[in-house]
Amino acid sequence: MDEGDLGLRNATYRLVAELGRVPTADEAARATGLGLDDVRARWRSLHEAHALVLDESTGEIRMANPFSGVPTRFRVLADGRSWHANCAWDAFGICAALGADGRIETTCPDCDEPITVEARDERPDDETLFFHCLVPAARWWENIVFT
Amino acid sequence: MNLFRSEEHVERWLAGRAPGATIPVAQLAALAFAWWSDRLSPDWRPHTRDQNQAILDAAGLTGDFWRLP
Repeated sequence: MDEGDLGLRNATYRLVAELGRVPTADEAARATGLGLDDVRARWRSLHEAHALVLDESTGEIRMANPFSGVPTRFRVLADGRSWHANCAWDAFGICAALGADGRIETTCPDCDEPITVEARDERPDDETLFFHCLVPAARWWENIVFT
Repeated sequence: MNLFRSEEHVERWLAGRAPGATIPVAQLAALAFAWWSDRLSPDWRPHTRDQNQAILDAAGLTGDFWRLP
């Protein structure tokens, strides 16, 4: 990841905050003045450095962690907008990244009952819930979408 | 990486599969705020492996399961 990659990475995340969603490559190119091929090549470099995750079939962003580029089971209402997170960890991460309180909506994978938890002042308002991580840390990036 | 209503729900969902790690949601929130709070900073730089391991350690997530490669 060179300085140009880092500049595009930070511009991409700035667009996430401005748009309320992950930008397309075309939007990133227009916002930065870079060519579309340059954006795609630098996003590829960032993907390989685990700074974001591309959809291999489209070349668009699948994850600008903790933000998801596609709808998921983890919805976050924060900073006056609705977001999708990649997982429960990232759902709290969206509140962290925005520096905002938020409301996380998901379902229990066991019973499919809705779970709603508020993050207020960096703490959950319901501390009876539990988080389960199936994949050990050493293997998270073997298949980050599954993780 | 999911949220469950209780540890009993985790066990039932695993249905005999090898478990990963289960932690209280308050510990997850502390981890998430330490891990992600700089992501929209205009001065963001990539975390090193050791920085990330230190965040896990500080959140009380130690042992082989939480050891980064």
